[in-house]
Amino acid sequence: MEIQTPVQTAELVVRNLHAKVEDKEILKGVDLTVRQGEIHALMGRNGSGKSTLANVIMGHPKYEVTEGEILFKGINILELSPDKRARLGLFLAFQYPASVPGVSVANFLRRSLESVREGYDPNASAQPTGQVDNKRKGVSPAEFRKLLQEKMQILRVDRTFINRYINEGFSGGEKKRAEILQMAVLQPQMAVLDETDSGLDIDALKIVADGVNALTGPNLGILIITHYPRILSYIKPDQVHVMDKGRIIKVGGPELALELEQKGYEWLTGTSDENGEAGA
Amino acid sequence: MSAALVKGFSRAGVEALSRLKGEPDWMLEKRLAAWDIYEQTPAPLGRRGDLGILQRVARFKFDQLAPYTANGVNGNGHAAMPTWEAGVLVQRNSTVVGRDLDPALAARGVILTDMDTAVREHPDLVQQYFMTAVTPQASKYAALHGAFWSGGIFLYLPRGVVIEKPVLARYLLDEANATNFAHTLIVAEPGSQLIYIEETASALPNGATALFNGVAEIFAKANAHVQFNSVQDFGPGVWNLTTKHGIPEKDAYIHWIVADLGADTTVANLGTTLAGSGSNGDIVGVLFGTGTQFIQINTLSNHAALSTSAETYFKGVLDDRARMNFEGLIQVAPGAQQTNSYLSDHTLLLSDNARAEAIPSLEIAANDVRASHGATTGQIDAEQLFYLMCRGIPEDEARRLIVQGFFEPVLEKIPSEELRGRLRRSIVRKMTKEGQPVDDETEWHTVTDQWDVEGAGAEAVEILGGEE
Repeated sequence: MEIQTPVQTAELVVRNLHAKVEDKEILKGVDLTVRQGEIHALMGRNGSGKSTLANVIMGHPKYEVTEGEILFKGINILELSPDKRARLGLFLAFQYPASVPGVSVANFLRRSLESVREGYDPNASAQPTGQVDNKRKGVSPAEFRKLLQEKMQILRVDRTFINRYINEGFSGGEKKRAEILQMAVLQPQMAVLDETDSGLDIDALKIVADGVNALTGPNLGILIITHYPRILSYIKPDQVHVMDKGRIIKVGGPELALELEQKGYEWLTGTSDENGEAGA
Repeated sequence: MSAALVKGFSRAGVEALSRLKGEPDWMLEKRLAAWDIYEQTPAPLGRRGDLGILQRVARFKFDQLAPYTANGVNGNGHAAMPTWEAGVLVQRNSTVVGRDLDPALAARGVILTDMDTAVREHPDLVQQYFMTAVTPQASKYAALHGAFWSGGIFLYLPRGVVIEKPVLARYLLDEANATNFAHTLIVAEPGSQLIYIEETASALPNGATALFNGVAEIFAKANAHVQFNSVQDFGPGVWNLTTKHGIPEKDAYIHWIVADLGADTTVANLGTTLAGSGSNGDIVGVLFGTGTQFIQINTLSNHAALSTSAETYFKGVLDDRARMNFEGLIQVAPGAQQTNSYLSDHTLLLSDNARAEAIPSLEIAANDVRASHGATTGQIDAEQLFYLMCRGIPEDEARRLIVQGFFEPVLEKIPSEELRGRLRRSIVRKMTKEGQPVDDETEWHTVTDQWDVEGAGAEAVEILGGEE
């Protein structure tokens, strides 16, 4: 990788991104820019490629990028492993977070916080490679406990939650709240929320939306992925992108979300609704 | 005292060993009977197409070994006893070099001595129980043990005596071609209770070979509780062939907790015959193979009475070119109604070159029985790995977390906090590849932080570090 100078603002730039899984091309030239402090919504029907974009931004090994680039803080992150992307300040709230039996939320999240605080500097000659020395300085158990309790209150998460195994036996709503709790603790500069609203009843949706709103500010950029405009009445986007068949086909202001709520996607995509389900 | 027998195993060797020990005729006869069985029994070779573990053992050069080496003072030394132990015995190669027992327990009739002394001082008890739970017919290697056993521990708990603190036995191999044939005989009279810990370790010269061939027998009388913990942490060069069997009587329980982490080759036979109604016999196992370690585990839950229960629960991780074969058997005798018996074995493969086979089986001859078995073998889940990495955790560490999580349910079944802490440290050490800068202190912090080890204090560290 050539030496690149990180830029001051944590801007996420996706340029002409093509990606495939196995031999199927899912992303066919995506362009998207999210600046720090902005909230963008990415909408589209199931199977349009939204979740693929989220996974490719974080570097899921299942997807192969065939063309284009993703820059974060001016760094081409496509060559970085997912942990380095996270340490640069990127975060993904998963649509279907994996459960990790036997690993408690508290232990995992503290390690995670230490890693993220350690950060990642692409120009440093010796990369931190899990050297314990650097990490231990980050977070004392007391500090971590205090931070966690504060964030748990905001997301109305039960105390016992932190001693449970990661996502193991969590209800759908608990998983989504756990994702936002992690985001609150890790304080990324750019967060992708993949269908964070799906499967939530209205009360849970409100708690999650309040949690996200409590985190917004000039330091955080957010890309909310949803196929359902409802969450956008709680979290106000600055810009709305509509995706179809692996491309962004329309960009507009918050009013575009309202329009989609009334008209559906058909007037934009030209095909009837819900036919694009395959390959979600 | 310094004594050695000629290399290799022979009938003359058996006689020489018995003479050297000044044994009574009845023990010599038992040894010779076992030797005959050893000679008549072919080496087990496993099944066609299996992982070749028993074949590796059959090719082992037994004739290079010293059947007996004497070092130190046999049986008379006092071992340093950690404050949290009730009794301790230490054996180096063939001979017991130290032992100690809380005097308050001795006053209540508890006997802790080496087996050689027990043969002289408690012949009635030894004759009644010795090699009856594990008979020389059990396998060729149990027969070899019957012929050449040396050292080991005799532990007798009188009726109703409850020993709160654990009793510890430590077995060491530190000479090339040495053997350690420790024999463990535990008799727990009605209502007595014991927590027993067996630790094995080695410090062999580079490239040297040595054999551990231990047998453990437990007799738990009515309502007696025996928890037997075994941590096998041998270094390279050790061949580890063990047979352990317990017999709980009415409402008694024998709880086996075994961890096989080291040794080049391990064949461990582990079983319980539930002889009394209402008896219980759980077996919990933690296995971790790396390098070219071969591990063969055979378990048996033999239900021979009414309303007995047993759960066998193993978790194993294999890396590099390690191999493991697990064969678990649940037997339910005719008339052993209301049996509850469960058997499961789960293996996680960290390398494409590691191999595992699990063959759980049931032989049920009663009709009112609840029994099940299951086995899984898999690799680290890519989605779990991606998830942890997305939270900033580097791949190596994420894999380690997943492995720790994999072991966690089995570790939770281990009652002793000290032991849990020790196993966690050993597991982390095995997960840490060479070249990674992890010193002891770092490793300890890593484990305490990530696994919230509580109560595993400095003493536990000293126990671990003492051999090294």
